[in-house]
Amino acid sequence: MAHVTDFLQPSDLKSISNLQVLARGVVEGFCSGLHRSPHKGFSVEFKQHRQYVPGDEIRHIDWRVFGRSDRYYIREYEEETNLRATIILDLSGSMNYGRNGTTKYQYATRLAACLSYLMVGQQDSVGLVTFDTKVRRYIPPRSRVSHLRVLIDELEKGKPGGETEIGKVFHDLVPKLHRRGLLVIISDLFGNVSELLKALAHFRSAHHEILILQIWDRDELDFPFKGWTQFDSLEVAGAKHLLDPALLRSAYLSNLATFRDELTKGCRRHRIDLVPFTTDEPYANALAAYLTKRRSR
Amino acid sequence: MPLPISLLNGALIVGAAAFAIPIIIHLFHKSRFQVVKWGAMHLLETVIRVNQRRIKLEQLILLLVRAALPALLALMMARPIWIGAQKLLGNAKTSTIVLLDNSYSMQASRAGQSNFSIARDEAGRVINNLQRGSEVQVVLMGEGGSTLEDAPTYDTARVAQEIGKLDAGFGAAEVPPALDFAAGIFNQMHESTRNVVVLTDFQRVSFEATEDALLGKKIEQLKKMAVAPSITFFDVGQDVRDNVAVDSLEFSKLMVGVGQKIQIRSNLRNYGDASYPDLRVYFRVDGKEKSVSQVSLQPHATAQVLFSQAFDTPGSHVVEVFADADPLKADNSYLASIPVRDKVPVILVNGDPSTEPLKGATDFAEIALQPFSAGKVEMADLISTKVIKPEDVNAKALSGAAVVILGNVRRLDDGQLHALEDFVKHGGGLLVFPGNRVDPAWYNGAFFGDSKGLLPLAIGELAGDPKENGPTTSITTEHFENAALDLFNDPRNGGFSDVAIKLWFKLKPAAAGNAAGAATAPVILAHLDSGDPFLVEKPYGDGRVIACSTALDAEWSNFPMRPAYLPLLQRLTVYLASNVYPPRNLDVGRPIVAFLPAASAGKKAAIVTPEGLSVEAPIVKRGERGVVEYAKTQRPGLYTLTAPGEPRIDYVVNASRRESDLARLSPQEIADFAKTHGVTVVHSGNEYRQIDQTQRYGREFWKPILWLLLILCFLELFLQQLFARSRGARPLPV
Repeated sequence: MAHVTDFLQPSDLKSISNLQVLARGVVEGFCSGLHRSPHKGFSVEFKQHRQYVPGDEIRHIDWRVFGRSDRYYIREYEEETNLRATIILDLSGSMNYGRNGTTKYQYATRLAACLSYLMVGQQDSVGLVTFDTKVRRYIPPRSRVSHLRVLIDELEKGKPGGETEIGKVFHDLVPKLHRRGLLVIISDLFGNVSELLKALAHFRSAHHEILILQIWDRDELDFPFKGWTQFDSLEVAGAKHLLDPALLRSAYLSNLATFRDELTKGCRRHRIDLVPFTTDEPYANALAAYLTKRRSR
Repeated sequence: MPLPISLLNGALIVGAAAFAIPIIIHLFHKSRFQVVKWGAMHLLETVIRVNQRRIKLEQLILLLVRAALPALLALMMARPIWIGAQKLLGNAKTSTIVLLDNSYSMQASRAGQSNFSIARDEAGRVINNLQRGSEVQVVLMGEGGSTLEDAPTYDTARVAQEIGKLDAGFGAAEVPPALDFAAGIFNQMHESTRNVVVLTDFQRVSFEATEDALLGKKIEQLKKMAVAPSITFFDVGQDVRDNVAVDSLEFSKLMVGVGQKIQIRSNLRNYGDASYPDLRVYFRVDGKEKSVSQVSLQPHATAQVLFSQAFDTPGSHVVEVFADADPLKADNSYLASIPVRDKVPVILVNGDPSTEPLKGATDFAEIALQPFSAGKVEMADLISTKVIKPEDVNAKALSGAAVVILGNVRRLDDGQLHALEDFVKHGGGLLVFPGNRVDPAWYNGAFFGDSKGLLPLAIGELAGDPKENGPTTSITTEHFENAALDLFNDPRNGGFSDVAIKLWFKLKPAAAGNAAGAATAPVILAHLDSGDPFLVEKPYGDGRVIACSTALDAEWSNFPMRPAYLPLLQRLTVYLASNVYPPRNLDVGRPIVAFLPAASAGKKAAIVTPEGLSVEAPIVKRGERGVVEYAKTQRPGLYTLTAPGEPRIDYVVNASRRESDLARLSPQEIADFAKTHGVTVVHSGNEYRQIDQTQRYGREFWKPILWLLLILCFLELFLQQLFARSRGARPLPV
């Protein structure tokens, strides 16, 4: 059985252990945690008393107050909810790219493991969805420590390959995630931007908070290739192009900028956080920087 | 329609095939690609879809530029010339060769102006009118041609100035070799517009039928050059006919000794229509006038004037016959260098010595060659003899000898034969007489050497009858052509009728196959009545060999006791010794060569030219002697060579008399010449300038190609950067 330390170096754990994941909005939950709920209910932390009105449940009457004052008061608690997070991990072939040791998928699984560890550590519930052309695996969110192992095992078993239809998959996923929470999408988001944004809007309409951790390889950003090169598609078998990359670099980078710009603007419009990572930077540092940023908001 | 472009270095255009190198490199790189498994294909495919045509176009442009670079380089090195823009490039620089007839016939003058002064002035004008930046060379046509400058030059002003200093009188002009010479010079010239201007007097002897065919051939060769020059003949001749020439000198003796009287017969010819009733002819010896004779010379007639002279001192002497006739002085005198000998050293190799008088093989010959000494007469013999044994023959013994006579020598060893060959090769004379002791196997082997050796003919079987009263043969009385025997053409000088030869070898040529390899064929000088050769001559190297078919002594014939024996042997010996080597009477352009002792090597000899200039020539060691060579003998006249510690040597350079006939081609013949050979003939400077303007065409354009090449080099770099945009395109930040 895989262990969390297979994915996380001790130094990584140290750098993120003092951080806490705080969901931007208030998410409903069953368990108490660090996340405050705007709902006044009947949970752990007392907030105030109010006078009983007909229709209130009798079981919520504070009988001690009744003994002292002979009046019916209802105890109200400020409910503390936990974060119900679902990590949505891209298993498409393009995630398997990586010329310099670490593939984007390996990097993504480590990020996912980091997040899982943090969330479980603060008793938030974490789930996992893996997908390519369709949802491959869905592990509902749990907050138990033992659940972390389930997640880690699943991360280890995942093998990227094949095509992806990210928009369609996300649309299909919306009904399954019927309780709103934080969706952490770890993907390179390669695909049709407008379809993707529609799918994300669909998530948002279901009141999900969305955090996208977009994984890049440095090659995809720099396009540093020299000499005649045959580019074989990692997603579509047989798709290949033989070309002199130096002649296309400029156009490629321009196309890349457009792609990223559309994505950034779309995410901003839907109030989605889009955070890019490259596989050559320390992922734990990048994750910590992001969490700090989240906390300050 | 022919291409308007030609190439000077046509072979280098093959290098243009290097245009394939960039294409091969392109294909090579394309075939050795790296494979990248790529994820962001959706980003790349959009780019490829949009840019595919543009990229192909860019690659094609780059490939074309790169392929053009080596092709242009090869084209540039092949030195292309544009010959299609006739008349458009009238200001083109030219490569011009002026062929100036400086033969002595050009000295012919009319009204105080010689043909050469006209030619010289017109040549100067032609050169001065050349487009600025043109290059020029002047070929002086006297005797095949020599150049005014060491190499073609762009300094036309200097050339024009130097032409002004030129003088005529340099031998006879031969137009075909001069054109040949010009064709060679064009290889050193650079401009694509090329002209040959021949300034000549159209003397009939230079353009008559026999010359015309060769001339036509040379003109065609010029026209077939990669860059055909325009050929213009500039007629600078005037109709001057009067000319008297001393055509030749004839000497009564083959060789002159000290105190011996020699008769000199000069042949004069009047080529013109004028009559000279009392033409004064001067005879000079060593520059001093010795006698004057008057002769009447009718139009187109010849005359002979006889002078006699005895020289008091041995050594080099110069005689000159001068006819004081017309203004064309070059052929009015004829000079000859005469080496006057004190003694003619002759080596007699006695192959059959005897203690009895007149029984040795060379005893009779020794007396015949030194009759005054033998007869105890108070007169000096010209020939001095030395008798040696066959075993004493070696290079040292032969050194200093003029003639070697082998008498009944059995055989020589290889070293001796080599020394003898070397002796003859360097101008010595050899007389060979057989006898009863000769070894026919050696004579027909190493000595004859299949017609390549010294012996003129092989020795066949022995003919005749040795018995006392047996049949004999004699020497046939005939007309002898050879100078050694022509004495006997006059019956007053005796004959061979009383000569009875009992035994003789039949001299036979080599087998046909072997004879073909012989350098020169032997000549039979005299026959026997039996039909067999008596005397056979063969040139060998710079010397000569004469072989006799019978013995030198009285064993096989009575010849030594007959009156003809002495003059024949004397004449044969003097004839062989008269071969002055190196020659001292030369044609114009032939080099002066002097052999000096080896000790002189490293020193310098002084040569005084006909103009009175003193030039120094180095003495170089060659083999066992010092050698002086001086080649600038274009000017006829006397050249005097003095080496340190050596007696003076006189060399005389005489021009051929073929130019003495000043008759010119008629105007119609000149027009026919121009038409036949497709050349332009002009008769005045103005006419030349008008035609010159219409003939200029063509321009070498390697420089524009070089510029294009450089521009393409930069363009290639620029396009590469532009198309790749690798520097301008910065990666996006994460």
